[in-house]
Amino acid sequence: MNPLAYGLLFVVVAPIFGGLLAGVDRIVSARMQGRIGPPLLQPFYDVGKLFQKEARQVNPVVEPLLLGHVGFMAAAGALALGGTDLIFIAFVFALAALCLVLAAGSVNSPYSFAGAERELVVLLASEPFFILMLAAICKVTSASTFAGVLASPVMVALELPGVLLAFLFVATIKLRKSPFDISTSHHPHQELVNGLTSDMSGRLLAYVEMAHWYESALLCAFVVLFFNWSVPLGLLAFAIAYGLEVLVDNSTSRAKWQLVLRSTWAVTLLFTGGNVLALFLLGR
Amino acid sequence: MSELIVFLIAFPVVVSGVLLVVTKGNIRNALVVGACVVVAAASLITVFTFGNGNALFFGLPGGVTPGHLVLVMDAAIAVFIVVVSLQNGRVVAPIMAAAQLGIALYLDLGGHLPDPDPSRLFWFDRLTMVMVLVIGIVGPLICIHALGYMRDYQRSNPMIRGRRTSFFFLLFLFLGAMFGLVVSNDLPMMSVFWEITTICSFLLIGYTRTEETIGYAFDALNMNLLGGLGFSVAMLLLSGQPDGMDLARLTAGPAGAALLPAIALLCLAGITKSAQMPFSSWLLGAMYAPSPTSALLHSSTMVKAGVFLLLRLSPAMAGSAVGMMVAFVGLLTFLFASMVAVTERNTKKVLAYSTIGSLGLIVGCAGIGTPELVWVGVMIVIFHAVAKALLFLVVGTLENRLYTKDMENFDTLLSRMPRVSALALTGIAGMFIAPFGIVVAKWTAIRAFLEVPGFEGATFLIIMAFGSSLTIFYWGKLLIKILSMRSIEPYERSVEDRVTRYEWFAEIVLAVGVVGIAAGLGWISDHVVGPYALAAFSATPRVFLNLSPAMIIVMLVAVLFLPALALWASRRSDYDLADFYTSGRTANAGHLMGAALGGTRTVTLRNYYLEGVIDGSLVFRSGTAVCGVILAGMVLVGLVVRA
Repeated sequence: MNPLAYGLLFVVVAPIFGGLLAGVDRIVSARMQGRIGPPLLQPFYDVGKLFQKEARQVNPVVEPLLLGHVGFMAAAGALALGGTDLIFIAFVFALAALCLVLAAGSVNSPYSFAGAERELVVLLASEPFFILMLAAICKVTSASTFAGVLASPVMVALELPGVLLAFLFVATIKLRKSPFDISTSHHPHQELVNGLTSDMSGRLLAYVEMAHWYESALLCAFVVLFFNWSVPLGLLAFAIAYGLEVLVDNSTSRAKWQLVLRSTWAVTLLFTGGNVLALFLLGR
Repeated sequence: MSELIVFLIAFPVVVSGVLLVVTKGNIRNALVVGACVVVAAASLITVFTFGNGNALFFGLPGGVTPGHLVLVMDAAIAVFIVVVSLQNGRVVAPIMAAAQLGIALYLDLGGHLPDPDPSRLFWFDRLTMVMVLVIGIVGPLICIHALGYMRDYQRSNPMIRGRRTSFFFLLFLFLGAMFGLVVSNDLPMMSVFWEITTICSFLLIGYTRTEETIGYAFDALNMNLLGGLGFSVAMLLLSGQPDGMDLARLTAGPAGAALLPAIALLCLAGITKSAQMPFSSWLLGAMYAPSPTSALLHSSTMVKAGVFLLLRLSPAMAGSAVGMMVAFVGLLTFLFASMVAVTERNTKKVLAYSTIGSLGLIVGCAGIGTPELVWVGVMIVIFHAVAKALLFLVVGTLENRLYTKDMENFDTLLSRMPRVSALALTGIAGMFIAPFGIVVAKWTAIRAFLEVPGFEGATFLIIMAFGSSLTIFYWGKLLIKILSMRSIEPYERSVEDRVTRYEWFAEIVLAVGVVGIAAGLGWISDHVVGPYALAAFSATPRVFLNLSPAMIIVMLVAVLFLPALALWASRRSDYDLADFYTSGRTANAGHLMGAALGGTRTVTLRNYYLEGVIDGSLVFRSGTAVCGVILAGMVLVGLVVRA
């Protein structure tokens, strides 16, 4: 199949994948908390309903920025699967995240603004990891594209165990799971109310949800890169990792931003940096 | 051909002389605008006349050599520095100036200087082309902007005595010296232009002549004279070598052990001029000068002279210990400067740290010295010159309208000054918005770092990953401030109407330039920067930038997204701005919020500066210490080996 077709496929399939993942997440979380939980398709019902509701527009820049958020997130995934250089993807991924920060920051509500600033902090915390991860994967496989990595005889996860461990840690940020969900909150009665999304309603909130589905799918694609010799194994690994994230989410309380930044940088430097250094010193 | 080059150098100098005696405002304005048009046209004609950009060497018309004129200029510069310094009770600068003059006297009168080849005084190739366009187009735009800016600057700072005649004299002298510097192939001649730029920046930084700015001016002078001294000692070491004063032959390939100490000293000169750590403080001090000075020092002159020399030297130091140390100084400066920028509130200082960081990337690339990385370096020179000039000019405009440089006071800018906001957003998009401009360069740099073996390659990658993420943070904060909107009173909009037409013209042309370069990225790479990188290293042809159509679309959308959004949003005056959430308190679109004891308060929100995690001054001092040790090691080891 043409790489371009894979890119288009991502645009269509990723939201379905991400939505189902969110549905499973809610059921599993509910079971952990002794509840039954909503139906599997609840996230789709929610987003459908959001599109029907009125969107309160605090100012005219929010909606275009959120469309940019969804658009660049989808573009990041589509470009990745469509055969674009993986390191380039790291920058598009960051741009997508930045659009959400700007949308929330422009609102000027104290809650949205705090959420935006914290989102900027977690972007600062996680971005070095993603650049290093993609660079390291390109380094060990001598490939530059998604298909190239899958075709490589090198088993990425075996060469990059430190990077994989760090991925588990950093993915907590991108999946907005506790203790690193400092910029947002799905729980009421917390200091941030809803953080980033406090002033987003109706279809504005639906865009944020959809972008998150794309993001989850892109993270899944990153995990597949680690298990490049077998795609099913990669998907299984993502399922296990996601399960761990849900467990951690339900068993920890939110950390302060200082701790998030320090610990993520430390993990990135020690595990990812150490792994990369070892690769270069061993001449791989 | 050589007449064109002579015109390019001499014309701004003549204009500057005339400006020194013109005191009437109207005549000065007309003269400056006319001269700017001539300089821009002359640089365009020069570039087109030289055709395909393959290296050309030539001398002065009629085969004249400068002869003792170089020595006379050196003496004049030294005397000027000694007099001005002693007037202000400074002793360090005169010692260095005297040492430089001593070396010049020894070389020239002692007959140690080989006669320059009259047909190889000037060197013109694609890098010169890029530099001539940067100096000849961005420079005049800054001068035109200064006409509007300085009038308001004098009005809002009545305590500062107007010295606009000397101000415009210096701007044009600076441009002339820069043209001379980038076309010189003869090192003694280049060193004269080098020193003139040092003196121009010294005088421009000290423009307001307050205790504070005079201190900063001398900081800049001392550091750049140290670099100039390095340049002189390098010439001393090279004087015994055949072709030692011929820059093109010196940098034709990897330098042997005999030449490396001199190359290290020339690198020291380049590093001081490009404000790398440990010499970054002079550029930060320069922030207290009027904004056109900052724009000029940061984008088209001064610091670009430093990275120009380092890019020229790149093939000579490639693969050597000197090159590696230069690379570490540059990349560590990138990392440390980006960290400090995160903790800084003064917008001009944020821009300054961003400049130091971007230059650090160029220096790092030049030090490692592969065709790919020199490609990256030259690309950043182009992007940075246009985008940073635009940003400094916009901040200058804001400073004169809003009386502040504090980033926090720029909030709701999009509502108050929509068109200026759109220009600012274009500049920021040009600087960092993925994936245009510097980001394309970073991407290529990461690819190239993967090929650097061993400890160095891994370290460069890690530095790059953390450094680029930090840039997202400080630009993101500025973007949030600009993009926040609120409903405003009609009189608040009128602020924008007072922006002068000179400012509009310069800023709009630069903004169009940013977008134009984004669109022409592939062409610039294929026809200018790529062939230069290949020629500099005599390398086999290769593709530097592999852009698919999908990537070009994403890039253009990314660069136009924010400015277009700003213009669109600001026109929606009928937009129903809804209240925002303040946990049950009343708050309206004008940002008035119900206060605890009745009445209303305006909502003000403050960005994060990562207090408690990153200590700006500690990071700055650490960077200065680490880079200082590396540089001192580089120079001392070189000298010891040579001895």
